[in-house]
Amino acid sequence: MTETTPPVASLRDSAGPMSAVTGWGLGGRTAAIRSVGLWLAMFLILIAIFGPLLAPQNPSAIDFSSRLIGPTASHWFGTDEAGRDVFSRVLEGARITLSSVAVVIACGAAAGVIIGTIAAVVGGIVDELLMRITDIGMAFPPLILALGLAAALGASLRSAIIALAITWWPRYARLVRAMVADIQNADYVTAARELGAQRLWIVRRHILPATVGTMLVQVTGDVAAVTLTLAGLSFVGVGAQPPQPEWGAMIADGQTNLPIVWWPVLFPGLALMLTAVSFSLAGDWIRDRYARDDR
Amino acid sequence: MTTQILRRACWSVIVLLALALATFLMLNVIPGDPARLAVGPGATPAQLAAERIRLGLNHPLAEQYLLYIWHALHGNLGISSETQIPVATSLAQALPVSIELVLAAMVINILISVPLGVIAAVRKDGWIDRGIRVFSMSLGGMPVFWLGLLLQVAFAADLKIFPLGGEISANVSQGQKITGMPVVDSLLEGNWGALGSTISHLILPALTLAAFFVPIIVRTLRENLVSALAQDYIVLARSKGMSERRVVLVHALRNAAVPSITLLGMQVGWMLGSTVLVEEIYNLPGIGSYAVNAVLQKDLQPVVAVVLTVGLVFVIMNLLVDLLALGLDPRARLAARAA
Amino acid sequence: MTASDDLLSVHQLSVSFSTQAGIARAVNQVSLGIRAGERLALVGESGSGKTVTAMSLLGLVRGASITGQIRYRNRDLAALSNKEWRSVRGREIGIVLQDPNASLNPTMRVRSQIFEALRLAGVTRERRQDEALGLLAKVGINDPAGILRAYPFQLSGGQQQRVVISIALAQQPKLLIADEPTTALDVKVQAQVLRLLLDLGEQQHMSILLITHDLSVVAGFAERIAVMYAGRIVELGKTTTIFESPRHPYTQGLLRSTPRADADQGARFDAIPGEVPPATDLPSGCAFRSRCPFAQARCAAELPVLRDINEAAHQVACHFAGELEHVKRPAAESSDATA
Repeated sequence: MTETTPPVASLRDSAGPMSAVTGWGLGGRTAAIRSVGLWLAMFLILIAIFGPLLAPQNPSAIDFSSRLIGPTASHWFGTDEAGRDVFSRVLEGARITLSSVAVVIACGAAAGVIIGTIAAVVGGIVDELLMRITDIGMAFPPLILALGLAAALGASLRSAIIALAITWWPRYARLVRAMVADIQNADYVTAARELGAQRLWIVRRHILPATVGTMLVQVTGDVAAVTLTLAGLSFVGVGAQPPQPEWGAMIADGQTNLPIVWWPVLFPGLALMLTAVSFSLAGDWIRDRYARDDR
Repeated sequence: MTTQILRRACWSVIVLLALALATFLMLNVIPGDPARLAVGPGATPAQLAAERIRLGLNHPLAEQYLLYIWHALHGNLGISSETQIPVATSLAQALPVSIELVLAAMVINILISVPLGVIAAVRKDGWIDRGIRVFSMSLGGMPVFWLGLLLQVAFAADLKIFPLGGEISANVSQGQKITGMPVVDSLLEGNWGALGSTISHLILPALTLAAFFVPIIVRTLRENLVSALAQDYIVLARSKGMSERRVVLVHALRNAAVPSITLLGMQVGWMLGSTVLVEEIYNLPGIGSYAVNAVLQKDLQPVVAVVLTVGLVFVIMNLLVDLLALGLDPRARLAARAA
Repeated sequence: MTASDDLLSVHQLSVSFSTQAGIARAVNQVSLGIRAGERLALVGESGSGKTVTAMSLLGLVRGASITGQIRYRNRDLAALSNKEWRSVRGREIGIVLQDPNASLNPTMRVRSQIFEALRLAGVTRERRQDEALGLLAKVGINDPAGILRAYPFQLSGGQQQRVVISIALAQQPKLLIADEPTTALDVKVQAQVLRLLLDLGEQQHMSILLITHDLSVVAGFAERIAVMYAGRIVELGKTTTIFESPRHPYTQGLLRSTPRADADQGARFDAIPGEVPPATDLPSGCAFRSRCPFAQARCAAELPVLRDINEAAHQVACHFAGELEHVKRPAAESSDATA
C-alpha cells in the first residue's frame, strides 16, 4: 500500500486546525502533569454523568429577584440574567457538552471506519480520491463547514451535532485505512507460514493495540477540539439554543452584561478551557504510555 | 516540476467541485424542498408546481448542480432573502475586512510564535521552555470567542487602551475605499489620522484571532529546531567558532523553518474560517459577521456563499503552500530543472 | 606522560553525563599530548569515549561534568566559557566529522559555507572567492568554481569530505581533529582522503588527531597511537612499537582482529569476544577484565594506571604488562610493521 499523498499531507496529519490543543509533549519529567490531565478528564466525565445530581440548585429555575448577583456562598458562580444559578448551569452544561461531543465522535468515527475500509479494500483510483478528500477534509476549517451545515439544517443543538459529525470523520478514515493496510501486509508476512492462527495473532498482538492506542489519542484530541467548536457554534447562535445551559450559549447570553457582570462569561469559559486542556493532556499521557508499551 | 504543479492544480479543482457540491446540497437538498420553503405551507399543489418550475427544480439534480456552478463562476451567488442585495455584492464588501483581519493576525502570530519557538528550542527542558509550553497549551485550550471577550473587557472596557469595536473611531474621517481594507486604504491615501485609528481598532481582534494559532507554530518550530540543532552540520558550524546566535538563526532555522512556513500558509485558511467568532464581538463588518447575521435570520444564501469563499481561499492557500514547499527545497528544484 | 613542548596536552580529563540509566562516565582520567605537526591516532571501538574526548577538545560537550585540564598554549581550555571558546574553535583547532553529507548544511550552497569560515578567518569580502577557490584546489577538487555553486547533495561523498576539510583549513588551525573521517566513504576514496590529510598536515605544519576504530587506517598515517577502552587510555606509544610489540591485551586483541594485506592466506583474524561495558555500568578495577584472557584477581581489585615500559615513550595500563609474552601475529612478523 503506497501512500499516494504529497509530503505536506503528513504535516497536516499532525497539525490540523485544532491541534493547538492536542499533541503537546510536556517533556519527560512532566509525566506527572500529564497524568493530572488524565485524572481531570475522568473527573470531567464523572461530572458529566452525575453533575446535575450534584447541582445545588435547579439550573432552569428562573428567579428575577436574584438576577445578576456576583459569586457568593449560596451561588458559587453567581447568577445570570434570569436569576439562575450559574454553577448549577455549568454542571448541567458539562452533561450537555460532553454527551454531544461523544455522539459527534462516535458518528464521525463510524463514518470514518466505513470510508476508510472502502478505500483500503477497493484501492486504486477510488482509494486515491477518497484519501485526497480525506486530506483536505482533515485540514479544512471545521467551524465554517459545520456552520453551513447547521444553518441548512436549522439552528439547534441537534443540527450542530449532525453537522460536526459530518465534518469530523477524516482522521478516523485514515486510521482505519492504515490499519487495514497493516493487516494486509501481515498477510504477506504470514504467507510463508500459512497459519490462519498466526495471522490472527499478529493482528491481535501488534496491529490492534497500535490502532487502539492511536485511536484513543485521536479521540481525546477530538474531545477537546469538538468541545471548542461546538461551543463556538452555540456562541454564534447555530448550536444549542437558550435556555439550554451549553457553555458556549451561556457565554453568548452573558455577553450583553459585560464588563460589569463578568461571572456568567468567565466560568463557562473556564469550564471549556479546563475540558480542552485536560483531555489533550490525557491524550498525551496515552500516547506516551502506548508508545512505551509497544515497539 | 510542471507536471507536479498541474497534478496538484487538478486535484485542487476536484476538491473545489466537491466543496461546491456540499454547498449546493446545503442550499437545495438539506433544508428540504426549496419550492415549499419559498411558497410557504399554505400553498396549493398548483402553486407549488409552478414555483418548482420557476426555480428550475424540475430539472435533474445534476443539471441543477452544474447550473449552480455556472452561476457561481459568473459571480452570481444568489440573493440574500433578508436584505435583497446580491450576495456577491455584500461579500465583495465584507471580504476585504476579513482578509485584513487575517493578515494582521498572521503578523501578530509570527511576531509571537517565532521568538517563543526559538527560545523554547534553544533552552530545551529548562524553566523557560516549560513555561512557554504550558503557556502555549493554555492558549490553545481557550475558546477564541471567550478570549476575545476577556481581552475586550480587560483592555478596552477597563483599561481603555484600545477601542471596544468597530473599524474606526466615529470622529475620524475614513476617506476613500480603495481596497476595502481600512488600514491599507488609510495607508494608501496618506490619511494618518485614519491610519492610527484603524490600526488601534484592529489590534485586539487580530490578537484574539492569532492567539489560538500561536501554539501550533511554537510547537512545530520548537520540534523542528530541536531536531535541526542535533545535526552534525550544527556541530561543524559551532566548530568554526561561530556565535551561537548565528548558528541557531542562520543554520538551524533555515532547515527548521520550512514546515512552519507551510503551516502558516494553511493557517490563513483556518483563520479565515474562524473570523466568525471574532467579528461579532468586535463589530467588524467582515464575512464572519455577514454569515452570522444571515444565520440568525435563517437566510441561507449568504452563509453558503461564505463557506464556499473560505473553501476557495483555503484550497488556493493549500496549493500555494504545496508549491512553496517544493520551491524551497533545493533538491526538488534543481532535480526538476535538470529533468 | 606529556612533554612540555606539546602543542596540546590533556591532563586527567574526565567527562561524565547524568542519564536516565545513571551516571555515564564517558571519559576517565585521560591524559595525552600532541606536539606541533605531529599525527596522533586515538584508537578504540565505538563506545570507548573517543568522540567525547574529541568534542571536549572543542568545548562542544554539553550538559556534562568535566574535570581535568586541557592545556593549549598556556591556556586551560577546560575552564573556558562558551564565548571564550569561540576564539579557539576554528582558528586554533578544527574538526572533520564522520559523515560528510550530514556535516554540510543541506540548504546552503557550498560557497556560503566556505565563505562563512573565511569571514571568521578575517578574509575580506572581495578576496573570499579567490581564497575559496584556492582552498578547494588545495584539497584536490577538480572543478572548484562548479563545486562552489553547488549544493552539498549534488556532491559525491569524497567531494563533500574534501569540502569539509577545506572549511576546517580556512582559518589555518594548528590542530585538526579528524573523527572517523573516512569511515563513511568508499574504500578507494578512503585512501585518497587519508593521503590528503597527511599531505596537508605536513604542508601546514598542522597537528592531526585521527580518531578511528580501524587500526589498518592508522598504519602509514600516525606517528603515535593512543589506544582507548571504556573511557581510558590503555596503551600509548609510537606506531611501530605498538604494532610490533603491543603490550596491553586489548591492543593485542585489536591487532589480531585487524585484517592485514600481508598476512598469510587462511590466517585467523578473530574479534575480541564480549562487548564494551556501558559507560553507566563500568566494572571495578580494570574495565577490560571481563574480556581479557589474562585476568587475575588483582585486575578486579585495583585500577591499572598508565606506566612506562622499557621501550622509549611506551606506556601501558595493565598490571601485568611487562610480564605477558608478546602474542605473535599468525604469519607476518615484526619486521614489516609499517611505519
